[in-house]
Amino acid sequence: MQGWRVGWLGLLLLGAGLLAFYFWPRPKPAAAQAEPAPAAHPTSPRILFAERTVPVPDDNPQTPAKVELGQRLFYDPRLSKDGKVACASCHKPEFAFSDGGKPVSTGIFGRQGSRNAPSLTNVAFRRHLFWEGRSPRLELQAVGPLTAHDEMGMEPEELAQRLGAIPEYAKAFQEVFGEPPTLKTTAYAIAAFERTLLSYNSPFDRYQAGDDKAMSEAALRGMEIFFSEKGDCFHCHVGPEFTDDEPRNTALYTVYKDIGLARATGRDEDVGKFKTPTLRNVALTAPYMHDGSIQTLREAVQHYNQGGQPNLNADALIRPLGLTEAEVDDLVAFLRSLTDESFGTNPAFLPP
Amino acid sequence: MKAWLFLLTLGLAGALAAPVELKINLRVGDQPLQFGQTYQTPQGQRYQIELLRFYISEVALVRPDGREVRADGLVLAEFKREAPTQGVSVIKMDVPAGQYRGIRFNVGVPRELNHLDAGTQQMPLGVNSGMYWAWNPGYIFYRLEGVALLPEGKQKWIIHMGTDAFRIPVRLQDLQTRRVQINIPPAGGSITLNLDVARAFQPGPGGAFVDWRKQSLRQLHGLSPETSLLMSVVYFNMQTAFSLAN
Repeated sequence: MQGWRVGWLGLLLLGAGLLAFYFWPRPKPAAAQAEPAPAAHPTSPRILFAERTVPVPDDNPQTPAKVELGQRLFYDPRLSKDGKVACASCHKPEFAFSDGGKPVSTGIFGRQGSRNAPSLTNVAFRRHLFWEGRSPRLELQAVGPLTAHDEMGMEPEELAQRLGAIPEYAKAFQEVFGEPPTLKTTAYAIAAFERTLLSYNSPFDRYQAGDDKAMSEAALRGMEIFFSEKGDCFHCHVGPEFTDDEPRNTALYTVYKDIGLARATGRDEDVGKFKTPTLRNVALTAPYMHDGSIQTLREAVQHYNQGGQPNLNADALIRPLGLTEAEVDDLVAFLRSLTDESFGTNPAFLPP
Repeated sequence: MKAWLFLLTLGLAGALAAPVELKINLRVGDQPLQFGQTYQTPQGQRYQIELLRFYISEVALVRPDGREVRADGLVLAEFKREAPTQGVSVIKMDVPAGQYRGIRFNVGVPRELNHLDAGTQQMPLGVNSGMYWAWNPGYIFYRLEGVALLPEGKQKWIIHMGTDAFRIPVRLQDLQTRRVQINIPPAGGSITLNLDVARAFQPGPGGAFVDWRKQSLRQLHGLSPETSLLMSVVYFNMQTAFSLAN
């Protein structure tokens, strides 16, 4: 009798636990906060990528005022020589902060860039930036487009002078950095804003958090292929950010017009190496590859399925995969399930 | 005793540091450079110079016996419109007075400084220097910019030389024939160099030259395949672009 009661009590508790597991409110995406909230249930089996701690460099601590300043700067075309190009011109929220269908972006005076504008989804977690991965952190990366001839084309003195003459900026920089605007502090503020661009509300995230219905059957089949040796996608698109951040030659061409990492290192073995991009929100960031030469997600998957072009520097993992058309469709469905529809509409990320 | 005193005085004088200023005259061929003036390349392309900035580092004076006296420091020499181009002081250093047979230095940033976090470095390095190459990362060592006067109109061109491989060694010394005599009196003095900016446009092997009619060659930087040959030509030419003026 006693044992019977304990058994029922145990079952009741288990049921309550399962109910709590399924109906406990899901955490919202981390939005603009720099330090995500602590896990509500540290013992929970759920995988909540949103609860990862955003790495912040010691010399640029996150403060709400700095993030707000960075956000204003991010959307302000006055940061460019001709006053027409803002960071957001090429990193548009609705395309997961990429350039919406353009193979390469247009900079000042209509100048064309040479590479595809990458998504800024969870950019705080990248260990290397730019397509060759040659910039170690956001603060330094931001200097690139601000000063590049083809992008925003500003000189440090010119930028400092221009921003310093705008009273709101002069005041805000003084409050945030204790000094007038400079190229450095401009880049630091923009980096602080970029660290808040967090996106963890895709069907895949909801599935990982325990919602078994979040992903379609096709996407679930695609996930199996993605994480299998057959599909072999997960070796490079690894971890919660779906990137290992490493430069690799994906055999896109036999001869590369843009030599990639070799531009910086001068080494033959680095010709055609570009950094593995994140796959989060990848459905929103077409066209694909460093030069935007592949139009659709399906064509990108097919490139890998076919094993690419003969190239001496091709990564050892590049080989014909032998996926059927149906398997390619499933993989594409999985990649689409990495889309966070709330990312581009989050008011915390939009023009202030 | 007198001889000892004499030697001691001589020794002290030799050891005492004298202030020396390194000055630069910018030239186009053998003429003083004037910003905004129109010049012509050996290939007949007309151009103007608008800006020149470069790092000088690892300066050393060469003694008659070949040993070197090194001067600390790294400077960013800057030249632009409305500013003088002749006798411009770029670096001040202290060296023992005496006779020297030359000077050497590098145009560029030493490797051990070139890849430090630019966010934490101070001028003349750092993000605000106007020489930071965010996508490399590292610094532009030699930055020359101007406009080309092409049939279709004015077109801006730039030469941004950087990466460790393109640190330019300048060696202005002569131990054997003793043509180079640099005398630094105890009160100090100056050493003036000529820099022929137009040397960059001399054709290289196979006749390759900086052809501004081609859009892709108006931006020479890094090691992109279209420009790597010309960067090497400019780099090669730059090694003989400096000469002693006095």
